[in-house]
Amino acid sequence: MCVLCLFVATCALVSRRALIILSLLLLAISFGCNSGAKPALDGPVTRELTDDAGRRVSLPARVTRVVSLAPNLTEIVFAVGGGDRLVGRTSYCDYPAEAKAVAEIGDTLHPSLERIIALKPQVVLISTSSQLEVFTQQLQNQNIAVFVTDPHDLQGVFRSIAQVGEIMGEKLRTALLVESLRDRADDVETAVKGKQPVRVFYQVSAEPLYTAGHDAFVTDLMRRAGAASVTANVPGAWPKYSNESALAARPDAIILPTGGSMGSANSDVTEALRQSPAALQGRVYKINDDYLTRPGPRAIDGLEAMARALHPDAFK
Amino acid sequence: MNRLLEARDLTVSYDHRVAVADLTLSLNGGEITAIIGPNGAGKSTLLRSLNGQLPISSGVILLDGQPLERLNRRSISRQIAVVAQEAELRFPVTVLEFVLGGRFAWATHSGWGWETERDLEVANAVINETELSELSARLMNELSGGERQRALMARALATEAPILLLDEPTANLDLSHQATLLTLVRKRCDHHQSAALVVTHDINLASQFANNITLMKHGRAVHSGTPEEVLRPELLQEVFEVRVLVDAHPITGGPRVTPVISA
Amino acid sequence: MNRVTLRKTLISCALLGAVLLLVIISMSLLGSERLPARTSLCALASLGTSACGLTQDQFDILFQIRLPRILLAAAVGGSLATAGAGYQALLRNPLAEPYLLGISNGAAVGTMISLVFFGAIEWTRPLLAFTGAFVATFAVYRLARGRAGATPERLILAGVIVTTFLSSVIVFVTTLMDATRIRSFTFWLLGDLSGASKTLLPVAITITIIGALVLTLHARSLNLLMLGERDAFDLGVEVGRVRMVVFLVASLLVGSSVAASGSVGYVGLVVPHLARLSLGSDNRISIPAAALGGALFVIVADTVARTIIAPRELPVGAITALIGAPLFIYLLKRV
Repeated sequence: MCVLCLFVATCALVSRRALIILSLLLLAISFGCNSGAKPALDGPVTRELTDDAGRRVSLPARVTRVVSLAPNLTEIVFAVGGGDRLVGRTSYCDYPAEAKAVAEIGDTLHPSLERIIALKPQVVLISTSSQLEVFTQQLQNQNIAVFVTDPHDLQGVFRSIAQVGEIMGEKLRTALLVESLRDRADDVETAVKGKQPVRVFYQVSAEPLYTAGHDAFVTDLMRRAGAASVTANVPGAWPKYSNESALAARPDAIILPTGGSMGSANSDVTEALRQSPAALQGRVYKINDDYLTRPGPRAIDGLEAMARALHPDAFK
Repeated sequence: MNRLLEARDLTVSYDHRVAVADLTLSLNGGEITAIIGPNGAGKSTLLRSLNGQLPISSGVILLDGQPLERLNRRSISRQIAVVAQEAELRFPVTVLEFVLGGRFAWATHSGWGWETERDLEVANAVINETELSELSARLMNELSGGERQRALMARALATEAPILLLDEPTANLDLSHQATLLTLVRKRCDHHQSAALVVTHDINLASQFANNITLMKHGRAVHSGTPEEVLRPELLQEVFEVRVLVDAHPITGGPRVTPVISA
Repeated sequence: MNRVTLRKTLISCALLGAVLLLVIISMSLLGSERLPARTSLCALASLGTSACGLTQDQFDILFQIRLPRILLAAAVGGSLATAGAGYQALLRNPLAEPYLLGISNGAAVGTMISLVFFGAIEWTRPLLAFTGAFVATFAVYRLARGRAGATPERLILAGVIVTTFLSSVIVFVTTLMDATRIRSFTFWLLGDLSGASKTLLPVAITITIIGALVLTLHARSLNLLMLGERDAFDLGVEVGRVRMVVFLVASLLVGSSVAASGSVGYVGLVVPHLARLSLGSDNRISIPAAALGGALFVIVADTVARTIIAPRELPVGAITALIGAPLFIYLLKRV
């Protein structure tokens, strides 16, 4: 490049017209360079899949190096049997235990582009909640395939697992996994069917008071677990909620997501709900927050935990 | 002779420079003392140290016989009033409120309290004296330069302090206002036996109004005395390094100084 | 405008006090949950001794959630407006304000430190908040001093530097640290009155009242200081002492508000301005008026914050800025 620039510069000194012609030539060449060649992937490009953003993504027949940019996606990769081929994860990806041995590439919101590129993955899995629009473009420029999978509810989780399973080439194992998860989910829904849904308040944090709104993943889970979330219709995913309305809602049960990545935080009911029917009857249930906030295989664990807590008699 | 304010062998350092050196001065009741000198002679520094604002390096300042350091802020302010050149008027304030500020030193509770009948009496009296009675309800920043200067004078007079320090009071005033202001000072000194120290560039005004003149150069008082004694060509040339002509004012008879600028 | 007298001051304060009481009562009838007006008024009139027909839940909402929150809003508003009035008089700058000068952010960083290292001990919060506010005040003051003293322009510049620097620190720390321990940066930078703690509320109210009283007792000195430090000195004000008192008291006021509710901006700017515009620049009347007016302003802003998208809530600082900034532009044009 430098030699060319020097050459162009000297030409400019010589003649303006020469400079113009050369510049146009250079431009044409550079356009040509970018459009055609892609650096080598393992084997020729053989398949195209459509991701959740509606993009058609080209992938090699066999994927041997994959990076995950969200904890739920890491769990899915391991669950479908692709854990040995995971080369990069975020610092929040802590499950299963084997994941901790995988190289870290930053956190969900600000992963290191350099690290990702240095790991030479063939595909990077992201959920749109990672807010990676800019990164997506840059990764594509490096000819690293980017696949968006973004489950918002339980059905979406099954679909996501299936997609990742296909990407990793583990069709059989994935099918079995999905079927077993579906069975478990169906069992739960059958058990609680016909039972009066329990009025539940989902407390994300005590002070300030945050809860799960209409768009939160866990709202769908709660419905399936036989709960009627008192904030199911509040717009947004994680709205800041009024103490008064929480008190007036008089929930019969309170779910405290805690103990997972959150550690011991959020293990107390917020002040406004201390006199609620839920608190007075001791129906305050602490459930591993990772089960409830990561749309992955463990969501079923979360579903089961909630259903058992809310309808113990259905699971004798 | 009533020595109201005295400075003995006063040395004041400012910004690592000696601004005033071994200066001895006394302000007596009923007298106006003018301080004259070139720029940087230390005149303003002298004034600022006389009311206690600038710390002194050596020497002593005696207020009514007492060393200045021993007195608290309010008692000093009851004795010494400063007439500044300009007022910082960032907030709207009426002339009356402004002049009433001069009564602060007489407040019974520091920092709080309301103006007494006496305060109002004094304020209105000085407003009359400075011919501002028609403007007393107006805002200070609506006044002209000359009117504002009179308000500053009024505030200083409202303190009823026997000692007045004026720092170039006529600098921004036109001829008629200059005369009015200094006449006021003169009247105060004559009727109330106040003492006034006027730092000024205007030698001829000083000649007309001052009882004593002190010539300062490089922080020292080089000559002191009556206008006749001090305003002499050789002394003025020594201090200002410029040729001057001194003659007798045709009407007042006092010395009149004119610089001689050779073409 | 006429001279301020004791009578004029007492009447204005009594009027403002009455309006404040009315606002407290009426705003306690508003919220994300509907309460029956008449029974609520009856319960309020009985000062909580009688439920007057309210259900237990309604009673709890009114007395355990709404009223404490409104009182906290009053304390925060009163503190910030009083501090603002004090800074404006002392620094001779109508634009001096705890938020703009970075003092609120200083208090926020102080509180964050107390939450990280002394989380369980509640009284360290206002203490470290006060320290943070004081250090920030000192930093701004020193930064602003040039050869010609602290001119208004230098002061505002110094304030902007300190504010933006500390805001970045806050965002940095809250991003790195576990937000459940130290709250998110929207709490610190935009305020939140929903956590009216039972222990800190009485402290906040006491500090507001004491702070406003102390500053009012220095009002006459501040009147003179407003017109120049040198002139004030000449006229008998102990400038150094008054300056220290104002800095300490204002830092205490800002510290206690920020520790309780994060930074609520514009209160210290707009309310003292309005007070001076309507009642004159005399601090003997404008400081108490600012204290009462500030309480009013934040109560109303917080009521909007907690009702406008109910049952969700907005940060109160967003509302004070939305109201305060245009109001300030209008005020600037008038003056």
